[in-house]
Amino acid sequence: MITKKNTGGFILLLCLLLGINYPISMAWAIEPYEIVTNPSVNEKTLPKSSLRAIFGMRLHTWPDGTAIRVFVMPDDAPLHVAFSKEKLNVFPYQLRSTWDRLVFSGTGQAPDTVMSPEEMLARVANTPGAIGYLTKSKTDGRVNVLEIK
Amino acid sequence: MSSRSNSCMRKHSPGAIIVIALSALLWSLSAQADKLPTLPMLPKLPTLPKLPPLPHNLQIHGFASQSWLMSSGNNNFFGKSSSDSGSFDFRELGLNASMRPLTRLQFSAQMLSRTAGEGSPGNVRLDFGFMDYTYFSGESSQLGIRLGRMKTPLGFYNDTRDVPFTRPSILLPQSIYFDRTRKLALAADGVHLYGEHRSDLGDVSFQAGVVRPLVLGAEAEAAVLGGQFPGHLAPEISYTGRVNYDLDGGRIRFAVSASQLNISYVPGAGDILQAGSVRFTPLIFSAQYNAERWSLTSEYALRRLEYNNFGATPNMDFYGESYYFQGVYRFTPEWEGIVRYDAQVTDKDDPHGKKWAAERPSRAGLAHTRFAKDITVGLRWNITPEFMLRAEYHHVNGTAWLSTLDNPNTGDLSQRWNLFSILGSYRF
Repeated sequence: MITKKNTGGFILLLCLLLGINYPISMAWAIEPYEIVTNPSVNEKTLPKSSLRAIFGMRLHTWPDGTAIRVFVMPDDAPLHVAFSKEKLNVFPYQLRSTWDRLVFSGTGQAPDTVMSPEEMLARVANTPGAIGYLTKSKTDGRVNVLEIK
Repeated sequence: MSSRSNSCMRKHSPGAIIVIALSALLWSLSAQADKLPTLPMLPKLPTLPKLPPLPHNLQIHGFASQSWLMSSGNNNFFGKSSSDSGSFDFRELGLNASMRPLTRLQFSAQMLSRTAGEGSPGNVRLDFGFMDYTYFSGESSQLGIRLGRMKTPLGFYNDTRDVPFTRPSILLPQSIYFDRTRKLALAADGVHLYGEHRSDLGDVSFQAGVVRPLVLGAEAEAAVLGGQFPGHLAPEISYTGRVNYDLDGGRIRFAVSASQLNISYVPGAGDILQAGSVRFTPLIFSAQYNAERWSLTSEYALRRLEYNNFGATPNMDFYGESYYFQGVYRFTPEWEGIVRYDAQVTDKDDPHGKKWAAERPSRAGLAHTRFAKDITVGLRWNITPEFMLRAEYHHVNGTAWLSTLDNPNTGDLSQRWNLFSILGSYRF
């Protein structure tokens, strides 16, 4: 009985998978970008697991004890989608639900959202301990570039 | 696009706006004073106390939701949903604040009002309120402690069960997250330890605590004892814990949660009940797979419920069992569909309620109150990041999770019934 109903569900999902083109895959074509930090941050490289923990809002301090301040673009911004998928290997909806779980259970906080690359550059450049991401063409000497090991 | 701009206001509290407006006003006044050099020197005025800078890591978030429910037969869910006009008696409002005065220290609190039929009249209460101190934080692990009122870590959804945006559907799978044990398992006062270890093999995290469950009030009494009695419930030392394992940044998630919640009964004057005790011991296994377009989730719960030494009724000790399979499909980031099969039995050894119904003549025909099998289909539309609309349809065989408060005459219930619901929710 149960198996039959679930089989139905899976067939439905399968039809949807095959039948619908997903517009989000367009977001893969994006110009080169970097992970950027405030010049006060000493780290030049970071393991991927730490980067995930930072953007998952679970790692709060740099090794020297400075508070980490995370800046992101809106969930549907192409750069945010590309960064989430390529650098963190997660989908934007997963990040959103992680942040919601933290905020609404009190066990953490959400990152700061910026609305434009210009705002990203200004906030990361002016906030000690800040981390964010920017396309190369928008990056300048006011921020450091962080490599992922 | 204009709706998107709201999210940049996310962290600005009314307090922040007042502080900004006030300081701007003071600045403009002093600036004007500077432009009048011909005036004689005023005697030195007492300096205004400096406004404290608003801590920039203060965050304020909230949500408000309203649902409408319509059900078949005489089966009421959250208000008089079987009436011709349905029920609007399902409303959730919440406001929370958090701040980190030190990098290792966070304070969080949430006020919540939940209206959900007779069982939840919408009174405002402290949902959680605690301090969180990170004792150790390294590149790959951390360890910390929380003190105060914390949400009880049960399954994937209990911690945020009253926040519509965090649920997969309007109603959580009722087999596991039903309202009778909600009161016992919602939140508790005490101390939690938590920790995490991250590696290429995945992230392991845990939280475990010694707590006192929240059992004061008539609602909790009705939920635990099935009615009002002269005495009252008292919390006893209880234990709660969950271990999570996330692989590949959460593509695959596993969790095992276990709690033992202890409550005692203090009899009142002329009470038919004696000083009994209730012990609720849920064990939940959870698993989830997240792909780009779809997510599959399943949870299995084994709930042991014990009633001892109440005198008037014999001691009871039985295991309830529930599980669900759920598939979510994201057509676009805005549109999402859900399909779920959800099943519950009140007593594992009596899955169809037949033994229970045969025990007393008054239970004839009520076997369906001992199980529920629910097939759900639903749609979610994220109109903006802040505003969401949902619709869903349930076809249910069994009435185990229908509240006796909303359905005082159990004999009127239909075994097979349908429920349709719409929800609108806003958050910031």
